Amino acid sequence: MTTVRAAPARTGVSAARVLRAEWTKLTSLPSNAWLALGTVVAAAGTAYGLGLFVQPGDGRSGSWVVTSGFVLAQVGFLVLGVLVGAGEHTTGTARTTFATVPRRLPVLGAQVVVTAVAALLTALAALGVSVLATAPARAGDAPALDLSVPGAARALLGFALASVAVAVLGTGLGALLRRPAEALVSGVLLLVVGEHVLAMNPGRVTDTLRAFLPSSGARLVQDDAALAALDAATLGPRLGTWGGGVVVAAWVLVVLAAAAYRLVRHDVR
Amino acid sequence: MITVEALTKRYGSTTAVDGLTFTARPGTVTGFLGPNGAGKSTTMRVVVGLERPTAGTATVAGRRYADLHAPLHEVGVMLDARSVHPGRTAYKHLVSMAQTHGIGKARVREVIAQTGLEPAAHRRAGTFSLGMGQRLGIAGALLGDPATLILDEPVNGLDPDGVLWVRRLVRELAAEGRTVLLSSHLMHELALCADRVVIIGRGRLLADASVQEIVDRSQGAGTVRVRTTDPEPLARELLAAGAQVVRQEGGVLRVRAASVEEVGTAARRCGVTVLELGSESGSLEEAYLELTGEALEYRAADVQGGAR
Repeated sequence: MTTVRAAPARTGVSAARVLRAEWTKLTSLPSNAWLALGTVVAAAGTAYGLGLFVQPGDGRSGSWVVTSGFVLAQVGFLVLGVLVGAGEHTTGTARTTFATVPRRLPVLGAQVVVTAVAALLTALAALGVSVLATAPARAGDAPALDLSVPGAARALLGFALASVAVAVLGTGLGALLRRPAEALVSGVLLLVVGEHVLAMNPGRVTDTLRAFLPSSGARLVQDDAALAALDAATLGPRLGTWGGGVVVAAWVLVVLAAAAYRLVRHDVR
Repeated sequence: MITVEALTKRYGSTTAVDGLTFTARPGTVTGFLGPNGAGKSTTMRVVVGLERPTAGTATVAGRRYADLHAPLHEVGVMLDARSVHPGRTAYKHLVSMAQTHGIGKARVREVIAQTGLEPAAHRRAGTFSLGMGQRLGIAGALLGDPATLILDEPVNGLDPDGVLWVRRLVRELAAEGRTVLLSSHLMHELALCADRVVIIGRGRLLADASVQEIVDRSQGAGTVRVRTTDPEPLARELLAAGAQVVRQEGGVLRVRAASVEEVGTAARRCGVTVLELGSESGSLEEAYLELTGEALEYRAADVQGGAR
């Protein structure tokens, strides 16, 4: 067998190479493309639907109409992240992956990066399609998309940031819990259910808890007027312009640190 | 060269591997043999760093697997045919592995050709038969042209052609000076391609010898096979006379440390009708059964217990 000996030059594992490999893994699963498409459709569809009901006297801005799809689309970003983080372990791919990169942490790092990039591209597509999908609403009663409204441009950027944060949180939960179902349920509890349950009982304690849930990241998609209204209504801490982003970023870091600890310390089956 | 020293792996109160020591040498196919659940796969997972040993060490070429800079180039690993995402094609799976080490796509196509995967290379791995999955696993192991190969049950699910192909492949790899560690729960499979056999049962080393030595060991003891209508009293009689008895199906007893004459006389003493009686020249399969029989808490233990 002469072919075996005719091997290429011998190079080792590097962070950049692991990153390329993880990008191949992400893009070689057709399900991920469908998931991204579904997320774009969910974002634009929600924005289109909600846009039809906006009246001039609602106090909603043009950016609110465009970014309103985030409420549903965030579940798509969460699923994307969870599948990247937990898919390894449920399909047995982890045995191949971590025998190939036995230091393990570069894999988690690369998964975070590819998830963030995929989420960013998907979010930008969702934003663009949402702008188009809300054009009929703006032709009707909904306010125009006016970027000179304070915080409007930041809210559009915030849509992309919040989407990336939710997706990476999903990767962390998936890598930490190693099972998609558990990771997804935890993510939905933290991002959606917790917020709504606590909001039913406004008070100092519940509003404080709400402020420190990762669902505060959704504040990133609001313009200045909407943030001021949220801060005026709360009995807990006022998070201001970037506070919600800081809260969700802290969650992402803590969950990723826990996932990294488990990955390094525990066996891979 | 794979060196396993005093390796122990416990999961809670279960001991999967218990003080195991053996070496797999270059230029040799080392068969790793034991019943299902004996600890073969666990040992292999510890060697490639997926699991941490409770005690002891496992090294490849003198280093811990986790410390290798380019694992694919040093050790080819095939642990389980289901180590692939079912939604990914075989080609993309191998490309993603190759990219971690900067291995080019030409080499990926080479191992696909070498393992006969071309017709299936662009199909999703989830649609693969067990045999195709095994070929994909072996392709991944060969990718980095490693000096050491660790293959867990590589012939599982292969058709007869595939089995022959694996046998020839591992012989060739060893002939090129590589270290090959190959597990199986089938003795006859290893008898055809292994130079040395490491036999384990319940996580413990039962034998580590050349194939010939293990056959000789079985022959040297000289087993007598006797089939009777009523094996129970005969077993007791023989045990009382100091022989070792292994009870098998169909009223058959395998007797060690007793001659054909002694067994025949014993049968007459306890009034048992003998249907067959003869001495056996041992085989690898029997040596294996004897070794692992004890570890499996084979029925013989009950017979012996009753006689005490």
